[in-house]
Amino acid sequence: MKKAIVFSLSTLLLATGCVDKLTEYNVDIKNPAAVPGVSLFSNAERTLTRTVVSTSVNLNPFRLYVQYWAQTSYPQESRYDINTRQLNRAFWDALYTGSLSNLNEAKKLIPNNQFASAAVQKNQQACVEILAVYTWKTLVDTYGNIPYSEALDFNNAQPKYDDAKTIYASLFTRLDAALAALDPSAAGMGSADIFYNGNVASWIKFGNSLKLRMALTIADDDAAKAATAATQAAPKVFTQVSDKAQLQFVSAPPNTNPLWEDLVQSGRYDFIGASPFVNQLNALNDPRRASYFKTGPGGGYVGAPYGALNKYGDFSAPGSRLEDPTLPGVLLSYSEVEFLLAEAVERGIAVGGTATSHYNAAVTASIQEAGGSSADAATYLAQPSVAYATATGTYKQKIGIQKWIALYDQPVVAWTEWRRLDSPSLVKPTRAVSEIPLRLPYPSTELSLNGANREAAAAAIGGDRVTTRIFWDKF
Amino acid sequence: MRKHLFWVILLLAGLCQQAWAQDRSISGKITDRNNGQGLPGVTIIVKGMPTVGTSTNADGVFSLSVPSTATSLVFSFVGYATQEAPITGSNTINLALATDTKQLNEVVVTALNVERSRNSLAYSATQIDGSEVTQARNPSAVNGLSGKVAGLAITQSNTLGGSSNVVIRGSKSLFGNNQALFVIDGVPISNANTNSNAQQTGGSGYDYGNAASDINPDDIATTTVLKGAAATALYGERAANGVILITTKKGRKGLNVTVNSGITAGRIDKSTFIKYQKQYGAGYGEYFNDDNGTPVAPTADDASYGIKFDPTLNVLQWDAYTPGSPNFGKATPWVAAANDPSTFFKTSVSTLNSITIDGGNDQGNFKIGYTNNVERGVIPNSKVIKDILNFSAALNLTPKLTTSATVNFSRTSGLGRYGTGYGSENLMTNFRQWWQTNVDIKEQENAYNYANQNATWNLASPETGNNAAIYWNNPYFVRYQNYENDTRYRTFGNVVATYKATDWFNVLGRVTLDSYDEMQEERAALGSTTASYPSYYSRYNRTYREINYDLIGNFKKDINENFSFQGLIGANMRRQYIKSIFASTNGGLALPNLYALTNTVSPLIAPTETDVSIGVDGLFANATFGYRNRVFLDLTARRDKSTTLILANNTFIYPSVSLGYVFSEGLRDIAPWVSYGKVRANYAEVGQGANPLSLYDYYIQSPALGAAAIARLPLTKNNQDLVPERTRSGEVGIETAFLNSRVGLEATYYQQNTINQIIPLRVSTASGYSARYVNSGEVRNRGIEITGFVVPVQTENFTWRLSANWTRNRNEVLSLFNGVDNIVLATYQGGISSNATVGQAFGSLRGSDYTYLNGQKVVNASGTAYVMTNSSAVIGNPNPNWRGGVTNTLTYKGLALTFLVDVRQGGQVFSLDRYYGLAGGLQPETAGLNDLGNPSRDAVTNTAASGGIILPGVKADGTPNTTRVANDASGLYGYGANPNAGFVYDASFVKLREASLGYTFPSTLTNRFGFVKGVTLSIVGRNLWIIHKNLPDADPEEGLSSGNLGQGYQSGSYPLTRTLGANLRLSF
Repeated sequence: MKKAIVFSLSTLLLATGCVDKLTEYNVDIKNPAAVPGVSLFSNAERTLTRTVVSTSVNLNPFRLYVQYWAQTSYPQESRYDINTRQLNRAFWDALYTGSLSNLNEAKKLIPNNQFASAAVQKNQQACVEILAVYTWKTLVDTYGNIPYSEALDFNNAQPKYDDAKTIYASLFTRLDAALAALDPSAAGMGSADIFYNGNVASWIKFGNSLKLRMALTIADDDAAKAATAATQAAPKVFTQVSDKAQLQFVSAPPNTNPLWEDLVQSGRYDFIGASPFVNQLNALNDPRRASYFKTGPGGGYVGAPYGALNKYGDFSAPGSRLEDPTLPGVLLSYSEVEFLLAEAVERGIAVGGTATSHYNAAVTASIQEAGGSSADAATYLAQPSVAYATATGTYKQKIGIQKWIALYDQPVVAWTEWRRLDSPSLVKPTRAVSEIPLRLPYPSTELSLNGANREAAAAAIGGDRVTTRIFWDKF
Repeated sequence: MRKHLFWVILLLAGLCQQAWAQDRSISGKITDRNNGQGLPGVTIIVKGMPTVGTSTNADGVFSLSVPSTATSLVFSFVGYATQEAPITGSNTINLALATDTKQLNEVVVTALNVERSRNSLAYSATQIDGSEVTQARNPSAVNGLSGKVAGLAITQSNTLGGSSNVVIRGSKSLFGNNQALFVIDGVPISNANTNSNAQQTGGSGYDYGNAASDINPDDIATTTVLKGAAATALYGERAANGVILITTKKGRKGLNVTVNSGITAGRIDKSTFIKYQKQYGAGYGEYFNDDNGTPVAPTADDASYGIKFDPTLNVLQWDAYTPGSPNFGKATPWVAAANDPSTFFKTSVSTLNSITIDGGNDQGNFKIGYTNNVERGVIPNSKVIKDILNFSAALNLTPKLTTSATVNFSRTSGLGRYGTGYGSENLMTNFRQWWQTNVDIKEQENAYNYANQNATWNLASPETGNNAAIYWNNPYFVRYQNYENDTRYRTFGNVVATYKATDWFNVLGRVTLDSYDEMQEERAALGSTTASYPSYYSRYNRTYREINYDLIGNFKKDINENFSFQGLIGANMRRQYIKSIFASTNGGLALPNLYALTNTVSPLIAPTETDVSIGVDGLFANATFGYRNRVFLDLTARRDKSTTLILANNTFIYPSVSLGYVFSEGLRDIAPWVSYGKVRANYAEVGQGANPLSLYDYYIQSPALGAAAIARLPLTKNNQDLVPERTRSGEVGIETAFLNSRVGLEATYYQQNTINQIIPLRVSTASGYSARYVNSGEVRNRGIEITGFVVPVQTENFTWRLSANWTRNRNEVLSLFNGVDNIVLATYQGGISSNATVGQAFGSLRGSDYTYLNGQKVVNASGTAYVMTNSSAVIGNPNPNWRGGVTNTLTYKGLALTFLVDVRQGGQVFSLDRYYGLAGGLQPETAGLNDLGNPSRDAVTNTAASGGIILPGVKADGTPNTTRVANDASGLYGYGANPNAGFVYDASFVKLREASLGYTFPSTLTNRFGFVKGVTLSIVGRNLWIIHKNLPDADPEEGLSSGNLGQGYQSGSYPLTRTLGANLRLSF
């Protein structure tokens, strides 16, 4: 009897000692605890590019907002319905958690690599920084004030929002530091860099082109700062089509161009050319039409009424070039750089060249990117309605129209440039639920998870509305 | 009248006190109180003289010679309450025995399978007899409990073999498990489902059911629902959600064979399916396409806002482009379909057959059972087959050592389970949200049958030669080609040895195992729509093992005449291992009809693996002190050590204290009409551990892009400092029975606060993560449970028994995280989310709402839509105000009629089905007459003959809206023009849940067949009638899946199936 009790009690004690030794129990043996920092940079390149080139109605509505495209049976996004699909949240999340947080982590991990020299690590950190600046700029241009100085810290679940203009100033500083750090004599990201395969010289051009873009973005708000930055950057920007920053997608999912996923793989027929854009191309007899669109019924290029319910078969669909899963996703093109330079000249900034020469180079590059020849470009530019000297309107209107046409592959930038240059003039559709968005409202998650800070930011920018202008959007 | 009855009973009770003392023979007949039939095998002994006894014969008749000193007889029988009858002047004692659960002095199985007298329990524990669960022949033992236990909320889904949400006393954990723990003969059984997160939040998927459905209902002897923490505290870390304890049947003396054979058939309840308008056909607008001059129906438009039907109009419709169709190449009249999608549903047929053989003697007993259950659903090519084999045996090796073992082996195989959520595999999404009223279901069936191809109505652009399926497939193609299939092989059981060291101490050693392997294969055939994903084949394999080692020492001793003691001390070692692997083809299927991972267009992406191990070691003790069988004090403590937490944090102690007072013991003489009375109170703390792998951070690898390896941070930041969630629970209750237990009432009030919630706290994604694990937040559940019964009529031949239960649970989120007053639990299509908001009930629905001016809805300036708020307005609460169930049992001789009415009052549900369906012009209300009496879809002319609609409401300036606008696609009734709040409905219902009519053949008849001991034939019905509901066209109870997600949200909901069946029960 006693034996039984003694036996059982001692067994009890034994049994409960076991867990102490089972430290391996809570280890995830199927996921890595350590990875090379550059692999997080690769992820950021991929996510950022996919986000800005996507046409998913759950993520990126900007091809609609600038009226490149109209929708067929489900025109809610064309009518600026943001609530239903919460695409403002998806866009925000993709940039913060897909791009910025991974870049932030890459920055922490890069020094762990004992096999990379200090010079290489310095180059890698500079590339990380340039991509981060690109992402931050996209966020500010979309939302205005955003969490910046307190962001990317998991210990701070409710980061405060910073003033958009202040963020821009910080971004200039960071970009300058990164550009100064880049050393073409040492290696960079290597094959982890899907844009330039580690070519540091290319990153210097990309960084300066980005700086030029940032300079002109704020030009209406701070002409002096814009002039300084543009003048610094201009000598080192892209000089040829092949310089552009783009990500080469591949044919196998999940690394295809997201356009292919929505236009081809889905088997859906949601998008067609919108009449304001197609009419403009037609009016200018644009050689890029064949690349941008398929012909509609009757063999011509037919745009659909924007924001209406449209029948797919009645209009021109997006061009077959866009149906290639390996179509590169463009972040910054040579053509855009030349447009920026043209504008800089018009603003009296000493970047060299004339507005006309840059304008011509920009249009020519765009036509070449779309598969046209330099002869096509020359013919096109010879038309009085296109030629810089004779085209109608102010420089902003002239550049605005041509830039609108050229940025067809870069909808996010196109939307920013439309807001900034106020050209072309676009009209909201009759069943629109709001004006044409000049910004995206803060995501509903910020409302619930970071309420007080979002509230303060909303007040600071003049209301969390689609009609509130970003600080650089003066006109 | 009632007063009279009271006095008569009092008088009778007084008379019975007299006892006669003389040596004589007593005889009588013992019957079952429920059906009046004689009970064979009832043991009868003279009280205080265990050696003087007999048992009843096959007719329930006995005769016993008793000594003159005998004062009363004790009648006992397995499954029935032991009853005592005083020996009076008469030499005849006829007695009707009641089944166990109705009696208050019964033995109740409690935590760790300790049997206790109900008297000594100071917490709420409801014991349900196995026969009550199987009354309506529900193949799911879980669903069979629905509506029968106060505080137990079971939400069934209408899919075939789908999961059931089983929650006791409300949801406590914001993100953790809220499902009750099932314990079968000491074996903890996971009730988890393996449904994907997407499936649970309304995305496309399948509901694979939860594992507690692997229990054989016919093998259940009793089910005890332990609700509060005090009742479950001995389970420590996994006790927070209550426990459903199932005790299986044991071998009885002799050799017994029981056979159940039943068949049921079901049809959908049309009040839970959409009704269509029959005036307008396909289109997002009033147009036809054109094929060389002949009009073509807009086949790509998955809506019915098209041209008005006109039999004189001949139009090329989908079948004109379907080779093999009799209408191939022909224009056919533009008319509404003769067969709308309600004709898609078939009669479901299910069979449930079981056989149990058991036997035993003084040395031991055994039982072998086999159950085969084949369920065929109401939609084509759907079935779930279950085979369950169980064996149990007990052997008394020596007078002191008893051993027993049970093993339960089951195979569940599903084929063509219903697709759920928003997607082309769920035909309800298609039928309810995106349909063309001109498409005839029977013609779709014929078209599929021509060549087994995707002869869909939803052709992309047939007039230009594009005959691909754009958004939706032929429904029959979905069912016969895009089916899933799955299997689950499961073994659970135990081996137990009990050594009785002395008469007051024994040691029990037990090893239990629950082990299953499941495989799920899903597919979308080549030729299917690729709108959401290309054709694919995917395969998911998962293994689950849980092993428990228990060692328990039991003490039971009466300290003296007044004081009794019962206690235990024990240890438990739990080990769980879960491994899974998932792989899918990439970029589509290369070849048709081949479902293998190698059949992939793009190179296969590496499979996703998971590997999780959990270990918990527990030490526990329990002591129950009794004083004169009136006062009971119960103390328990359990210490758990868990590997899901870091070493410094991983030891926790969970205590409980309960006190009960049986006041009726003191009232015997004063108020003999009080048959039983007890008050009780308790307090306990129990816990819930962290999810495994929530401590340390890992990266996630993605397929390489070119030469670049890709890795990323997870979206959830883990936390090493987690501690278990803790539920503090208190309850007070009263249990009473009056008038010889003809009337009884039990009431419990409880409050449970769950603190230190383990939350993957949603954080601003600007922090770099979307969630971060923290311990924070408090949820309170408080409620009242009332159970009562009354036997209004009880005569020799006729008994009417009415029992009812009522539960009100109030759930409130008291706090979350510093400065956070709302956490999004899940987001759904349509901009809807489930939330935990401070001050609100768990799971409150948010979305856009109307804006109001002086109580009127504000319409926008153009009159085309309501002005809406952003999507964070609180628009609904999915939690009911109360739930209740009423069971009536009427027995007349061998005939027994039972029916259960199940009620849910309050709570709300959002319908994505109506959100989209109304926008697509499917429902009759989108095609009615306007305020002028004209067809609302007619053109707006602003004359007396004008069509169009004036949205009811006011303009921004407060004046009534007078703008007449066109009633066209995506227009006025559905989404777009209306906020989410316009599609939130009251989810109350009153359902006739179960009804059964059984007839037990009299023994005089069955005796002629010699070996037959009993024959019962019953007719059963389930979900026969929704007596009341407020949700149009759907079943308010229907949900997406079990679990915390998806509550109060419907998308592609399945109609309720009414079933009617017959069952024959034979015992030999």
